[in-house]
Amino acid sequence: MKRSATPYLFLLPYLAIFALFWAWPILESLLLSFQNTRVSPPVWNLSVNWGRILGDAAFWDALRNTVLILVIQVPLMLALATALAVALNSQLLRARGFFRFAFFAPVVVGAVAYSAVFRLLFNQNGAVNAATGLDLNWIFDPVGAMAVIIITLTWRWTGYNAIIILAGLQSIPKDLYEAAEIDGASPWQQFWRITVPSLRPVLLFCLVLSIIGTLQLFTEPWLITNGGPGTATTTLGVYLYRQGFQNINFGYASTIAYAITLLALVFSIIQLRLFGRES
Amino acid sequence: MKRLLVMGAALALTVASAQQMQGNPNLRGEITVWSWDIAAKALEANIPGFNKLFPNVKVRVLDLGNQATYDRGLAGCAAGGGDLPDVYSVENNEAEVFWARFPNCFTDLNTLQPAASTLRNQFPAFKWTELTVGNKVFAMPWDSGPVVMFYRRDIYNQAGVNPATIRTWDDFIAAGRRIAQATNNRVKVGVIANGQDDEWFRMLANQNGCFYFNNEANAVTVNQPGCVTALETVKKLIDAGIVMQGGWNEQIQAFKAGTVATSMFGAWYEGTIRSNAPEQSGKWGVYPMPASRPGGVRAANLGGSALAIPASSRNKEAAWAFVRYALGTTEGQVTMLKEFGLVPSLLAATRDPYVNQPQPYWGNQRIWQVILGTLGNVPAARGTQFFQEARAIMVKTQADYVAGRFPSAKAALDAAAQQISQATGLPIAR
Repeated sequence: MKRSATPYLFLLPYLAIFALFWAWPILESLLLSFQNTRVSPPVWNLSVNWGRILGDAAFWDALRNTVLILVIQVPLMLALATALAVALNSQLLRARGFFRFAFFAPVVVGAVAYSAVFRLLFNQNGAVNAATGLDLNWIFDPVGAMAVIIITLTWRWTGYNAIIILAGLQSIPKDLYEAAEIDGASPWQQFWRITVPSLRPVLLFCLVLSIIGTLQLFTEPWLITNGGPGTATTTLGVYLYRQGFQNINFGYASTIAYAITLLALVFSIIQLRLFGRES
Repeated sequence: MKRLLVMGAALALTVASAQQMQGNPNLRGEITVWSWDIAAKALEANIPGFNKLFPNVKVRVLDLGNQATYDRGLAGCAAGGGDLPDVYSVENNEAEVFWARFPNCFTDLNTLQPAASTLRNQFPAFKWTELTVGNKVFAMPWDSGPVVMFYRRDIYNQAGVNPATIRTWDDFIAAGRRIAQATNNRVKVGVIANGQDDEWFRMLANQNGCFYFNNEANAVTVNQPGCVTALETVKKLIDAGIVMQGGWNEQIQAFKAGTVATSMFGAWYEGTIRSNAPEQSGKWGVYPMPASRPGGVRAANLGGSALAIPASSRNKEAAWAFVRYALGTTEGQVTMLKEFGLVPSLLAATRDPYVNQPQPYWGNQRIWQVILGTLGNVPAARGTQFFQEARAIMVKTQADYVAGRFPSAKAALDAAAQQISQATGLPIAR
């Protein structure tokens, strides 16, 4: 009896914290999504939030923006990261340690600081316009603002993904390439026939992380464009925050949170179906 | 008893006429004040005067910025009243969400000495509407925002535009064309926020007697005729190519660079222009906003704030003394008017001799006469607890309508009304 209780006692601190800070909020937000929280005190109303979400134009805008970032930024970033990883892995490159650190460094910079810098860079009188000779009002143009968000995200996360992919590259046995060379395969063929298939699990890992990160995206659009102009860069994360903490409608904010969770689930299942067959 | 009554009445009379305050060196403590931009600076300017009466109260003003003050205040209330200052600034339009959702987050000012209800007559009645729930008063009126046009005399002169002849928005557009012509398109006649804010729509709607909600706060009215006209005018101005688009910071950059000839805002913008462009002294002037049609209303209100005392404050007495000094005395209010152009809502202060003085910065125009003269014509409008939600929807609707995504202003506002109704649970008024 005593022996069987011991492991649970060791687990107890974790379980208690998990219950208090994870399980309870998850349950509480589910309950909140079935309450009308626009009145004080909140009252039960099963349909007020779930009935609203599908017909809410602002929610669809946020969803569209999030998916747009997902389908443009994530593939772009992962392609860049793979190319970068291959370059960083090359025997021809000198000072590899320095370059690896340099490309990883953006992740270390505080989000608030680099968001402020990007806002300045893309100001109409900013460095980007000055350097390119353009006269774009980036932040206040719907397309420009979205471009800034995508550029910013790519700047920050490409190096991070490249380092993960680099680790994957280094675990590919060298003899595969040697054998391929003896058989007369070009570097290009080696890349597509050996490198990419071997990287599949690592790329899948990066893809899942990036998709979940994008679905939760909040910091950059909040700090750089404040979700604007209009709702042009309002992501699901920004919309959730607005409902929760600006409109103090925690019921509807919880509903949005659950909608995001459902979406993440759907995306994960699709990915596993598409890319995870062999494993 | 009778004597007491007479004494009380006499006391009330002195308070009402002089609007001065008794000091108290025994009141001690340190209080923190949250505010934004010019408003924060104006409160800071009142500390020396306050400390003459209350030498042992230390006041610390923090300038958080407008949106951050609101966001942190709501977050603090939502968290049960933590992380809040002793004195909290809130815009009248945005105030009701606090009292409606968090009735225990702020101090009922009637429970303090003297009770806020004894100060009622010293302010216009409309300033109390959004600050009062039943017989509880949660904040004290501060300034109001009668809308006027701030214009560059030299640029108007150069283009041969006489502001006295600008009576309607069509006149304003014609003036904008002449200014563009005279300056080779270098100078725009105004700056409209499109996509970041809908303040021009709100000012024009208010002028036309329309707003997001009715004054009973029980129905959505954003698709009524006054609002439709307002939205049509905003698009007309933008389509004419005579205005620049930009937010708060862009507008300041533009008038500093001299690329904009007019700013339309609540009169509190006076201080923003004067303190940001001291080198343009003497070049500016003021005229009333143009009307929607000949002979129409040429007045509106934008902004105007109040001060509240969070229930979590440990120095309520000191906080209340500071609030009453800054907002409830002629001295406090006129200091803020002089230094930062905040338009007093304290009635005694609007009758202060300072109001009639010519202002050197404004080409010796008696601008406060012009500005305060419009106050009586401002149609009433109420923010309600859903102000921010309605505003977010309207910002988007305006941007979409300007971009040509709706066949008409009415169609755009019908869609907005639908969304606001869905977001708030309030019906659309017939």
